[in-house]
Order: sequence, then C-alpha cells, then structure tokens
Amino acid sequence: MKVFRSVRFNIFLGALIAIAAALGTFLPQVPDAPEKVSAFQQAHAYLFPLYNCFGLFDLYHTWWFMALLGLMAFDVVACKLWNKPPDAGMVALPPELTDERELERRLARKEAALRLKPLRARFGVPGGAGAAAARLRAALSARGYHVQEELRSDSGAALVATRHRLQRWGSYVAHIALVVILAGALVKCLFGFVEMVPVLEGGSRAMQNKPWTVYVDKFTVKYYDGTFTPKTFSSVLRVQDADKVLGAKTIRVNDPLDIGGVRFYQASWGAGGMFRSVALRLGHALLRLPQRVPTRVPGTPFDVTADVMLPNFTISGGKADTASLELKNPAVRFTFAVGAHKTAPMWLLQNYPKLCLVEDPQGTLSPAPAPPFQLASIDPVLFSGIQVAYDPGYKIVVAGALLWLFGTVTLFYLHRRRLWILAEPGGDGTEVTIGGWSSRAGREFEPEFKALAESLRRELGGRAGVEFFQNPLVEVS
Amino acid sequence: MATHLQILLIRAALALYVASTACAFTYLFSKDEKWSRWMLWLMGAGLLLHLGSFGARIDAFWQIPENRYYMPINSFFGALSYLSLAVALVFFVVEREHRLGILGAFVLPWTVVGAGAAVLWADPKVEGLVPALQSYWMSVHPVVLMTAYAAFANAFGVGVALLIQEHQIKSRKPSELCYRLPSIEELDTLNYRIIVAAFPMLTVGIIMGGIWAYNAWGRFWGWDPKETWALITALIYAGYLHMRFLKGLRGRKAIYVSMVGFASVVFTFLGVNFLSQLHGYLSGGG
Amino acid sequence: MKLSLVGVGHKSAPAEVREALAVVAAERFYEELRRQGCDEAVVLSTCNRFELYLCGEAGGRDQSWAVSFLERLAGVKLEGHAYARRADAAVAHLFEVASGLDSLVVGETEILGQVKTAYETARRAGMTGKHSNVLFQRALYVGKKIRNDTAIAVGQTSVASVAVQLAESIFGELSAREVLILGAGQMAELAARHLLSKKVARLKVANRTWERGEALARRLKAEAVAWESFAEHLKGADVVIASTASERPVLTREIVAGALPARQGRSLFVIDIAMPRDVEDSVHGLEHVYLYRLEDLEGIVARNLESRGGEIERARALAREKAGEFCAWQRSAAEGREISLKHARRARGEKAVS
Repeated sequence: MKVFRSVRFNIFLGALIAIAAALGTFLPQVPDAPEKVSAFQQAHAYLFPLYNCFGLFDLYHTWWFMALLGLMAFDVVACKLWNKPPDAGMVALPPELTDERELERRLARKEAALRLKPLRARFGVPGGAGAAAARLRAALSARGYHVQEELRSDSGAALVATRHRLQRWGSYVAHIALVVILAGALVKCLFGFVEMVPVLEGGSRAMQNKPWTVYVDKFTVKYYDGTFTPKTFSSVLRVQDADKVLGAKTIRVNDPLDIGGVRFYQASWGAGGMFRSVALRLGHALLRLPQRVPTRVPGTPFDVTADVMLPNFTISGGKADTASLELKNPAVRFTFAVGAHKTAPMWLLQNYPKLCLVEDPQGTLSPAPAPPFQLASIDPVLFSGIQVAYDPGYKIVVAGALLWLFGTVTLFYLHRRRLWILAEPGGDGTEVTIGGWSSRAGREFEPEFKALAESLRRELGGRAGVEFFQNPLVEVS
Repeated sequence: MATHLQILLIRAALALYVASTACAFTYLFSKDEKWSRWMLWLMGAGLLLHLGSFGARIDAFWQIPENRYYMPINSFFGALSYLSLAVALVFFVVEREHRLGILGAFVLPWTVVGAGAAVLWADPKVEGLVPALQSYWMSVHPVVLMTAYAAFANAFGVGVALLIQEHQIKSRKPSELCYRLPSIEELDTLNYRIIVAAFPMLTVGIIMGGIWAYNAWGRFWGWDPKETWALITALIYAGYLHMRFLKGLRGRKAIYVSMVGFASVVFTFLGVNFLSQLHGYLSGGG
Repeated sequence: MKLSLVGVGHKSAPAEVREALAVVAAERFYEELRRQGCDEAVVLSTCNRFELYLCGEAGGRDQSWAVSFLERLAGVKLEGHAYARRADAAVAHLFEVASGLDSLVVGETEILGQVKTAYETARRAGMTGKHSNVLFQRALYVGKKIRNDTAIAVGQTSVASVAVQLAESIFGELSAREVLILGAGQMAELAARHLLSKKVARLKVANRTWERGEALARRLKAEAVAWESFAEHLKGADVVIASTASERPVLTREIVAGALPARQGRSLFVIDIAMPRDVEDSVHGLEHVYLYRLEDLEGIVARNLESRGGEIERARALAREKAGEFCAWQRSAAEGREISLKHARRARGEKAVS
C-alpha cells in the first residue's frame, strides 16, 4: 500500500502513460485512419500481429491504457489524502486561558516552535503583552493578513497571521480536478457515442445510435475567390424521430444543433460522384448533360454520355482514382457514340482544360491530344458530413477544467505568507518575536519580511532596532 | 502590398535579432557592459519591427471578411513569427526582473531560429481561414500555448547555463565564464520559477483546445497527435515540478527532465506536423 | 618637466628601512619641505613602499639632496636601498605604480586608493600645484584604465578569496548561508574572516578541544558546537571549511552522504585546507557536493597569477605609452603651444592602442 502514496511511484506512472501515449502517435490508429492501419498490415506482415495483440492500433482504448489512467487517478487521490500537507499550521487554541501554568506551558511550546521558523525578527515595544497583541492584530489586518488569535493575556500572547490563505487549497483542488476530468472522460466512454452521418443534399439518413433520421434539406458551400479553399459551408438540418421533428437549424462549422445533449456538427462535406448535370463546351455551344443519359450533340450524329465523376482526380496504379471526397480536382468521364459504335472513354478535368486521358478496357489511362471540347462546369450532388456526438461527461470535464484553473492559479500564482507572533513581557515593556514562513522558495519573502517587521515596530512605537535571525536549515519550497 | 511590408519588416527584425544575439555572445566573454546595452537595444528595436510585421500581417489578414477579427497564426509563418516574438518578450520580462542579461546568449538564439525559420522556410501568404478555424478560440488557444512554449524556451536556456556552471565548478578548474554566469542556486531557482509560471498556461491552453474541439467537432479529446504530445509535455513538466519538491531528486536529474520537457515542446510544435492530419501546418489541414 | 622621484620599495629595501619611513607622518614631511623652500611635492607612504615626488623648482635639484632629507627625517640610512628617477622616467614609474605593476601582487587595487589618498593629503596640505595636479590625476586615470583594458587585475589571488568567489558561484549571495568550520587553525580563521566579510547568516566552529574552538568562536563572534555533533550540523551548513590537525580524514563519504537527504538537494561546498587531508576525495563524487582541496584552490590562484603575469608586458607597454603622451603634452605646454592630451598621441607619432 505504501508504494501508492509515494510521489516517486506517481512520477514513474506518469512517465509510463507518456511513453504509451507517444507510441500511439507513431503507429497508425484505427479510429483516425483505418486505411493506414491496413497499409501497415500489408507492409509489415510479421510485426502487425505482434503489435495488434497488444492493441497498439487502437492504443488509447485498450484496457491497459485505461487501467493506467485509472490507477493514476486513484493514486493522485491516495497521495493527497494520506500524505501530510507540506506545512503544519498551528492548531488554534481557545483564546480564554485563565490557568497560569497552562499558559506558561503553551507559551514555552510556542517559543520552541518559533525558533524553527526560517525567518525571525524581534523588537521591543512599550506596554503590556495583551495590549501589544491587540495592536498587532489591528496592524496586520490593515495589511491584508487574516489574523487568528490563540492566546491573549498580560503575561503573554500569541497570534498567527496568514496572507493568501487560498493558496493552501490550490494543490488539493488541482489534483482533485484531474480526477474529475478523468471521471468525465470515463462517463463519455461508457455512455457517449460519436457517429459520422453523411447525408446527400436534399436527402436523409438514419442514425445508428439513436432511432432518428437526419435530413439535409439544403447544403451550401462557398469558396474563397479563385481558390478551392472553402470559405464557409453549411446545411439546413432537420432531425426527426419518425414523424416528430426533434430539431431544425441551419448549422455551420463551430455552430452545431443541440438536441438534449446530442449535438449535430457540420464536420465535413464532399462529393460522392453523383451529379445533376455537367456542361460541355463545344466551340460556342454549351451542352448540358445529365448523368448517364446519352445526349445528341446538335448538328452531329454523335451521342455523348457523361457517366462517372471523380471529385479529386488522381492517377493511382495507372488507373483513375480519387484522392479524397473533397471537390478539389473534379473530372468527368465521357463516351462518344455513333449508333452502336462507341469511342474509348475519356477523362476531362475541370481545372486542366488542355488535358485529356483515354481509358482502355482495363482502366489504364494514357494521354491523348486535347479535344475540341472542354468540361465547362459540373453540378455535383454534394453530401454533408454531419458528425453526431453525445458526450454526457462533457459538463463534468468542464467542471474539472474550471477546478484545475482555480487550483493551478492559486497554487502557483498566489504567495502564501505566514507569521507567528509571540508577545511576552520583557525589557521595560513587551518583547515581540515574529517568525515568518513563505510558500515560495528562494529569497523572495526575506526583504518583505524585514520591511514588515520594521514597519510594525514603528507603528507600535517600539524602541529603535529590530533584531533579525535566520534559520537556513528549514527550507520549505 | 501589406504582405510585402510584412516580409520586409520581419527580415529587418531578423537581422536585428542576429546582431543582438551576436552582442549577447560577445558579452558572455568580454567584461564590457556596453555589449549588454547593445544587446538590449538591438533586441528592443527588433521587437518593435517584428510587432510592426505582425501588425502588417493582421492588416492583410483582416482584409478578408471571414478572418475578422482573429489572430493570423494558423499557418507556419504566423506561428513561428509569434513564437520568436514571445521568446524575446519573455526574455525582456525575465531579464528586467532579474538583471540577468548574461543569459542572453542562451535564450536569444531561439528568436533567431524562430524568425529565421519563418523567413526561410515558411510561406508568408495570407489566406482565408478554413471554416473550422473561424472562431474566437483562434485568438486565444494558440496564443496561450505558444506563449507557454516561449517561456519553456527561456527555461531551457537557463537550464543549459546551469549545466555549464555546474560542470565548471565540479571540474575544479573553473574558467572565467564561471564567474560571469549567475550562481548555481540562482539559475536553479530561475529555471523553476519560469516553469512554474508557464505550466498553468500550458495546461489551460490544452484545455482550451479541448473546449474548442468540442464546439467544432463534438469531442473534447481525440488523442490526435498534437493533443497527445501537448499532454505528454505537460506530464513531463509536471514530473519536474514534483521532483523539485522531493528531497533526493533535485539538481541535475531534475534539470535533465526539464530539458526533455522542452524537447517535447519542440516536437509538439514541429514534429507532429508530420504525423497529424487534423492539426498539421504542413498537411494543409490548417 | 622638472620631476624628481626618490623612494624605497619592497624589492630594494628591508622592512626596517621602510618602517622607519612609514612611521613619519606625511604632514611632517610637508612641513620640512616647505621650510626647505619646496612647495610642490607628494609623499606616497604605504607598508610596502615609500616614495617622494618633487615637482617644480625642487624637482630640478640634485637628488642626493632629497635622499639626505629623507635620511634626516626618518633617522635611517638609505644608502643602496633607495632608487631615483627623473622626469620622463619618473612619470613612467608613477604610472606603473598606480597600475599595480610594481606591487607584490601584480594588479592589486589597493595601491590605486593609496595613491589617491596620498595625492589628496598633499593637496589639503597645500603642497600641489598645476603640474602635480595634472600628473597625479592622470596617474589615477591611467591606473584605472590599464586595469580595465588588460587582464592584470582579473582573478582572485589568495586562496581564501578564491574560496569565497567559488562559494558565490554556487550560492549567489552568501547572506543567508551557514558556514561550519572544523578545526581552529589559522588557515581556517583566515578563510572564515573572508566569508564573514560577506555577512553570512551563521558561523559555527567545531573543534576537538572545546577551549580552542570556543576561543575561535569568540574571536569570530560565532557559535561553538561540540565536536561529536558535527555530522548533525553538516545537515544545515552550506559551506564547510575543514582544517583540523587530524592525521586521517575526518569527513568520510558515509558521513557526508548521510547528511545529504536532510539537505533536500541543496548544494554543499566543502573546502579542505588541511594537510594531511581532512576530507575523503570520494566525497566530490557525491551529487550536489563540491569538494575543493588546497591544491585545487592554489591551482586557481596560480592560473590567475599566470594570466595576470601574461598581461604584465602589455600593461607595462601601455603605461609607458601613456607616460610618453603625458610628457609630450607637458613639453608642449611648457613651450606655450599647449596641445590636448589626446593630440599628444599623434605628436608622438605612434599608433594608438585602444
């Protein structure tokens, strides 16, 4: 059990998680790029089964990775709850103490404890200890310190004053936040889902995770002038459960439709290969062709048919192929026929009007001289890539994130300062000893402490001269 | 027009950064304070020109209506430009507070590397943002993260100086350099303080990325290489912070960990572009 | 320019001669000089040298007059122990002295302050005039310049100051540090005093014989601790000076390694100036521990002196050049066509060294 409390073990665990996560970035992962995984399988026939049995191709969802995360969460809680906090504050005592002997004993204990504080200052003030303590309390409160009084009588008084008390909680809150975030992630794993629903414009598709149907009534995409980079794309969306309309909205990227926590995002779009018509320019005439419908070229005996469209034309293995579903390099295949005679099919590319590729019966392409007609425009049937995501753990994760923000900011950016003050009769009045401690390592607090002691002395009308001691042994970072 | 101005200004800024770094190295080995002054003036002038270049880029960027009013750091050029700017800014803040101009030789080369890479290898073209990036998060998430990276670059420089100083004294034959560099304790504390300041920024930046992803794609965390490596960086630095609290693990070992953390920063910024589809500057994914 | 120099130095005269001259107050010299008709002179009197510079009319007199003058006032024979210089050579000598080139430890800075004090004393006594004013002010300028432009003043030259410099390279400011002295020998005391000048927070002395340790602690205003407990005190000490008379090492690797965990990774600087060794060599191999033995510190001092020595020739040449400039200016002023000191460089027809 002891090993879980050890910070060393946690560091080791963190390193393990880091290495595993790094491994997952170097190997192709199934959820992101399944085609790359298959390619890897083909390229490394012997390594693949070995890696696969450890789940390295879906690393982040393997049982052992999740177990590591869970162990980390458990460990963080264990460390924080079972280990002592780095500084032990003084325990508050009842202020009214009439038993003189008890008072003496407690004062003596306080004095011994005071000697161990890293910084100490001592000066004398006139008057009784009780009065001095009261004035110190007022002076420190005015300087933004929260003062707890522990003892007060004329034979001795003890105060504890703290600034930025909140900093103490920073570490706890930050660590708890981690656990909360992981809990949110767990909820998502168990109860959430993500589904990609590609819907043709004007069409619909049924969902798998819910008994709903997604309708895209209209899909628009606008490009930046003269480029193929989309400026904006959006869908007019309608979600129905049988006949009941659950929600309708025009969604665009960064602006989803939310139905009871199930969110519909405009994630992507593309062309599947269907088109309503293409326009072919012959000389001055523009001929509009629907898909797969032979059309007579006016004034000639030719029939021309446009049958296949590839949205992002590329040549792979000598054959026509599409690099992706994005409309980046559209190409259409045409076949000319006179009666029963058909020419070989030829590809025309919208972006490269001078190019023409002829396809043989096996599908291999070969360049051909530029024909007297060009592919003027295409009216493709686009599909809208709707990403449906349900993440019930999101709110938990956000709560955890806010806790983390609060925790780290208070832990690192606040400066907690503590003063232990003992006022005892001495000299011809009261001798005040102040011990100081700071949550920040290094010499930052020292000049502030010295200035504070000096200004307190002046305010209380003490005799000139403050004695300073330093105890370098105790360095709490 | 504005793009030309942008390139001109950043080239001028780069020249000044190079001169300033040269002064920093000279200052390391000479005792003349004038080198330190020159280093700071040249760096300041370079910073002003660099800010001007950034302003020109913003101006050109906002000509395109879809880009209003976001920060133009979606491309390699913009990101590198901001990064080297941030390194110089953090150096000024640190140097001003701690009067440690001698560390210029260890930190300023990063400004040259960043601005130089931007000028030599990155495409300064200003384009419209793809729809996924048209969000106010564009101005916050990358800025916060890259400021953290710049701070880590500063801490790395301090770490290098610390290792040199430690090696010098341990060798029992210290050279003149040993007496010019700050003391081991000072360097160690400075390294720690910079990382302490930058670590929350890094983690908050990562979380911002998650929230943005949730709004754009529906999932808070997808183990995308860039996300994963940012997390790995955070884990390494968290390890360093914990080591510092522990009795036996301070000193050299902790410094090495912080340096591995910086290597991870570099990989997160640069290396993942070769791995990621979603996040890569080089893959055209924006 | 009429300038006459007569003096004794650590190289030329034994200690008694120098002491005899040193005990006489400068005012007494000036009084007597005034009575002899001298109204422009400067007396430079330190523990290592005594020099009398006579300017104006008296500077042209025969130098045996000056020697007998000094012999009379000091009551000691200077025969064979004194050196004399005139005019340009005297100027060059003064510049070299101000630059620390004639000192026991080359490049030391104390002499510059001593020259300044001597000059100011003479001025207050009304014993300076136009020539001596310019001469001495120029000497102070040259002294500073040569220290800046060459490396003769670089690097510490005593074992104790090297140790302090190293401590500062490890810890930065020493004012919150704790020092532990093992042993109560002279070397330990010297090193401790150097550290004290940096206002360390705490100084502890641990010696086998309690009385000697306590005596040293009293002298240093430090805290005496029991010898048996030194291993405990190791936990809190940042700098340890080991200088006991022990035959065998007192600080073994185990003892030091045992104190390290409580130190939470803070550096520990151990200075071993005992002969034979007080600290096991393997202690240096421990992490965060820096062990410097006497030979290491001496090695650094030797290297510093060497680099200073390497600069002597250059510094000397520079001093001579500046002296030449000064004399050229001097002559031009005397001839009535006073040129500025800057132009004097060109008048000498020599290339300026920056």
